Amino acid sequence: MLRVDNLTVCYGQMQALRGVSMEVSPGEMVALIGGNGAGKTTLLNTISGLIPPAGGSLGWEGRPLNGLTPDMICREGIVQVPEGRKLFPAMTVEENLIMGAYLPTVRKQSRESLRKVYDIFPRLADRRRQLAGSMSGGEQQMAALGRALMARPRLLMLDEPSLGLSPKAAAEIFATIRVLNKEGLSVLLVSQEVLETLAITARGYVLENGVVALKGPSSELREDPKVKTSYLGL
Amino acid sequence: MDSVLIIQSLISGIMMGMVYALLGVGFSLTWGVMHVIHISHAAFGLLGAYLAYSLLQYFGVDPVVSAAVSVPLLFLVACGVYQLLIRPITKAKEVIVASMILTFGLAIILENVMVLIWKADPRVLTPTYASGALIVGPFYFQYPHLVGFSLSIVGITAIYLFLKKTYTGMAVRAAWQQPEATQLYGVNLYRISMITFALAVSTAGAGGISLALLNSFEPHSHNLWLIYLFLVVIVGGVGNVIGTAMAGLIIGVITGLSMAFLPYQWVNLVTFGLLMIFLIFRPHGLFKQGV
Repeated sequence: MLRVDNLTVCYGQMQALRGVSMEVSPGEMVALIGGNGAGKTTLLNTISGLIPPAGGSLGWEGRPLNGLTPDMICREGIVQVPEGRKLFPAMTVEENLIMGAYLPTVRKQSRESLRKVYDIFPRLADRRRQLAGSMSGGEQQMAALGRALMARPRLLMLDEPSLGLSPKAAAEIFATIRVLNKEGLSVLLVSQEVLETLAITARGYVLENGVVALKGPSSELREDPKVKTSYLGL
Repeated sequence: MDSVLIIQSLISGIMMGMVYALLGVGFSLTWGVMHVIHISHAAFGLLGAYLAYSLLQYFGVDPVVSAAVSVPLLFLVACGVYQLLIRPITKAKEVIVASMILTFGLAIILENVMVLIWKADPRVLTPTYASGALIVGPFYFQYPHLVGFSLSIVGITAIYLFLKKTYTGMAVRAAWQQPEATQLYGVNLYRISMITFALAVSTAGAGGISLALLNSFEPHSHNLWLIYLFLVVIVGGVGNVIGTAMAGLIIGVITGLSMAFLPYQWVNLVTFGLLMIFLIFRPHGLFKQGV
């Protein structure tokens, strides 16, 4: 479905990604783990079209994604929930959600999508008229996830969805992601909650200094001595 | 003090302020959404006033009617200006500085074009109802002032509804708050920037026509208008439509009262003094909430 081949990304002189290859198949939930500055967010933003790659290729269902602008990537069904949520703070919860269905292709179904999101997160329905910036972290993450779902994604990329959340709120978000994946949505999950992430994903990649250091089934990664010492603190 | 005079100048201040607000809203949006400080904003407003003047003078078209033509025309012109001049500089490191220098030059060009076409003499819009007035008790409202005031209310309401109720308007607000995330949900930032810019310029045109119904104007009037724009936007908060409207009213009332009670040469002193006080003590404006 998504195929990243030998991808290189540079910020000026610095190489943030150095020949990264990875893929996500339909219906899969794939983990992407690694320390701060390993290049996880860069990889997601490059897939989303926010950063132009310096080399390598991005493929989506057999077609190249290189050179597409972020709005065109979204149109392809690749939708990102960015790190730090990046809600529109001065807009209401419902306006934030409606913005997720901005593309004409999904706009027609926006009422139905809105009902679905409110079914998944009833708390958002209670807060629909509240300004997004005034909500708690957990509620904001729900709104950010809801906004992405409004765009009717076929591949959902989540960047640190549990960052700054209480354990209870984080568990709720992870549970929702799991349900969405069970319903057939492909997910690429970036998270520092390595144990939790490897528990709910089937496969994973470990990024270190812009290269894929390790990859394999999540159950194996969990047992890997390097992963244990660097990311699980065992 | 004479209470009739106070109320009369309060009301004319409110009328004036609403017009400043209409001129200021677009200025505020281009600043907030695109980080472009559009120095020629008021010059485009003045162009709107001159178009209305010519259409009235040579074809007898009422300014409000001709606005229906000149405002969309300015929208198209602004789309062209965006593509040719503004879009290339949005990639600059210091967009704000680059945009100020560029549009300062544009303002000089526009001013001189207006001198060439319309001469440097002051002009007034004199529609058929120019000499009429509405008299309510001791109060006296000239019809052109009422029309200019109404036009500015219609303009501000239209922008407000556009930003609140349409997908494109919501995308403009979203782009102002989170440009990157906005793109992730399918918004083409260049398109939104072009629409923001063109909308701002066309509302400046409407504001220019409104202002021309209240005051006389000449090719360099935009310089003074621009100062008022800065004042309105700084008091109201960048990118904040309701704040801009409120700020317009406040500044209009202050100017109106100082015109009534202070010697003429003091009026601008009050205005500029106010601008400085705000820049020092409330640089983010009076109002907290965004768009």
